[in-house]
Amino acid sequence: MLEHLIAGFAIMFTAVTIVSAAAGLLAGILVGALPGLTATMAVAVLAPFTFFIDVSIGIPFLLGVYKGAIYGGSIPAITINTPGTAASAATAIDGNALARRGRVRLALETSLFTSVLADLVSTIVLILVAAPLASIAIRFGPPEFVLLYLFALTMIAGVSGVDFVKGLFSAVAGLLLAIIGLDPMSGYQRFTFGITELMGGISLIPLLIGMFALSEVMIQAEAGRRPRELVDVLGAGGLTWRKARALIPVALRSTSIGTALGALPGLGAEIACWIAYGVTKRRSKRPQRFGKGSLAGIAAAEAGNNAVVPAALIPMMVFGIPGDTITAVLLGAFMAHDLMPGPLLFDRSPELIYSFFAVLLLTNVLLIGFGFFAIRHLRHITRIPAGLLYPAVTVLCFAGAFSVNNSSFDLVIMLAGGILGYGMRKVGLPIPPLVIALLLAPGLENTLRQSLMLSAGSFDIFYTRPIALALLTMLVVSVSMLVWRQWNLPKSSHSLSEGTTQ
Amino acid sequence: MNTSKKSEFKLRSSVISAVLGGILCAGIGASGNAIAESVEDFPSKPIRFVTPYPPGGSHSLHAGIITTVAEAHFEQPMISVIRSGGGGVVGAAGVAEADPDGYTILFGDPTINSLRPQVENLPYEVSDFVPVARINYSPAVFVVRADAPFSTMEEMVQFAKDKPGELIYSSDNVNGWTYTVFELLKVKTGTEMRGVEFGGGGPAITQLLGGNTMAYAGAPSVVADHIESGALKALCVTDTVAWETMPDVKPCPDLGYDVVFLFWRGAMVPAGTPQPIIDKLSAGFAGLVEDKGFLRLIGSINSKVAFADHETFFTLLAKEVDDMAAIAESMK
Repeated sequence: MLEHLIAGFAIMFTAVTIVSAAAGLLAGILVGALPGLTATMAVAVLAPFTFFIDVSIGIPFLLGVYKGAIYGGSIPAITINTPGTAASAATAIDGNALARRGRVRLALETSLFTSVLADLVSTIVLILVAAPLASIAIRFGPPEFVLLYLFALTMIAGVSGVDFVKGLFSAVAGLLLAIIGLDPMSGYQRFTFGITELMGGISLIPLLIGMFALSEVMIQAEAGRRPRELVDVLGAGGLTWRKARALIPVALRSTSIGTALGALPGLGAEIACWIAYGVTKRRSKRPQRFGKGSLAGIAAAEAGNNAVVPAALIPMMVFGIPGDTITAVLLGAFMAHDLMPGPLLFDRSPELIYSFFAVLLLTNVLLIGFGFFAIRHLRHITRIPAGLLYPAVTVLCFAGAFSVNNSSFDLVIMLAGGILGYGMRKVGLPIPPLVIALLLAPGLENTLRQSLMLSAGSFDIFYTRPIALALLTMLVVSVSMLVWRQWNLPKSSHSLSEGTTQ
Repeated sequence: MNTSKKSEFKLRSSVISAVLGGILCAGIGASGNAIAESVEDFPSKPIRFVTPYPPGGSHSLHAGIITTVAEAHFEQPMISVIRSGGGGVVGAAGVAEADPDGYTILFGDPTINSLRPQVENLPYEVSDFVPVARINYSPAVFVVRADAPFSTMEEMVQFAKDKPGELIYSSDNVNGWTYTVFELLKVKTGTEMRGVEFGGGGPAITQLLGGNTMAYAGAPSVVADHIESGALKALCVTDTVAWETMPDVKPCPDLGYDVVFLFWRGAMVPAGTPQPIIDKLSAGFAGLVEDKGFLRLIGSINSKVAFADHETFFTLLAKEVDDMAAIAESMK
């Protein structure tokens, strides 16, 4: 393996490769940082241009875009509370809270440090155990996914803030919104009211742009001038080695969550960031600090989403099965260069596979450099007068929502999402539970119905399969612990956790 | 010091607003172009090629290759859009509703374009689409896991007879391709097997490989590598002749199972698209299927080309719509 990797580095370690990977990263960070432009779109639009150039230029470029976009989303999430991509929605909670306290640089550097660390560890996992991990991941059938989705749903408790009932209310609203559209199995229309645009369901990205970004603009417009202290502490220090070292355990745990979820076809960075965030908060000794600028919160969310990127390549390379749209496009790019990912790829062209691993490690190193560059310049976004910044963000909201499907109906959804998000913030209903429920509901519905078809209607299937039984045990234990804690929560800590969500 | 910081800040913020302004102008420019679009200029912007199934199935594999090679033949890039759901209905209905300007193409097939609109109450009709070009067709290959308790078609049918309802197979969608060939098999052999619909070939084969189901019938492009690697065993192919790249796999009729079903893949545009645009697209696809790169890639996924231009395809499809009604009748 080592000689393959060295040979791989030899192929990829050329000026052209490094430049194209760097260009990809830069483009990715830009796309990720602009709300509304997603990693999927960037890869899909740029992929065709790479098909006719040499493999050592095209693939590094695309991998750079993919990585850069997932990282880049955290920058506006932290600086202006507007996640650049859905994968960085969890980062905004603590990242922006910290930025509001004037520690923009610290928040951004924490995000960069944990992103790079998670990416590195996940890449090493991909290199070392891609094949064994993929053969475990592929054993996950519908019943196992049902239990995973249910476990992910329990994360709602962690992001509900003071009032758990309000969190549940918001989650139910998300589940109900997810019902709209065609029935995934029979194709019957549900709550579409004859509107063709609603047949595919509520478009997720426009809704998220509205709920997170547009509602933030409305809140800011109402607040008027920006709080003064933000500018004052701009000279405050960044991430010290001591602080970074303390974050490593959290980052590594979130990385393992992100890697495991990434390796399962169908679960992406959008879900991984919430699970990593929820688990970290649950295991924290000081959960009341989450939501108010906790470094561990930023670390968990960013490690969780960045670890997904290399891991998502595992099922694609080993079985030729792309887990999501991004990896499907990458699969196309691989095929365009005569590399057919699948069970025979490792036998047919090992040196090329290892050269991609080399590229993944290379982009990891480059990300550190670009990250610091981006932080140095983009943290000044917080200094742009609100009167200039928020109109620009509004334009980006509309442009982004429209460009997802080139559909003007999506603008209506975005606007409705903005108004809904604003209303929810005003009455203190947390937004994250709604988003988590909306993300999970379609997968949960599909896999639940498939499980019951597999078992001919019997619920035995959820505990007679070994992996399912293990997941069920984990689910029961974590729900009981949640209930137990809720029961024993001292009344005084209620006031401490005030303002966990905004 | 304070003033220098302030001016630096002013400079920075003006740079950033200039960048944002530039992006905004670019956006307006693009939409301005769209309005000024005319038939002669077609195509003047990227074309969206919509695959209505989840990634990993034969449609998305073919779409990846088509969009890869397209730019040289259409003068504009072609963007692969994956829009799955409702067994292909979400993507198809979306294209049916799109502007008939040639910029939105559906990667169609017999189930969503001729079988299902006839037997189900869908939000679109057969006549909502105009066929542009057929790229190819392929049979389905019945495959089972290497460790399944049967390794021939005869054994599989016997298993289903001995244990009715215990054979679980990966299906794609109700009235989809895999669904239809298994329904035909069940009708012809009088057996009972249980299908689980996974929405498309990608998830369906994943579940078979993971051991959650026992059998599947899918395109050669999806199953070939797994047969070669030894994970799956091929039983027979749903055609009257063997498939070129799999000469050892016998046609189902030769084994005594009259299950024949060919699955075409073709480009469809919304009804109402101007004829000159349809002709341009049809000519573009005609050039594309002769492209050396295209042929090499299509061979690498064990598929082949069987091109039919707009007019031929139009006639073929009209006949197929009647044939499908007959198939639906035979499954009742």
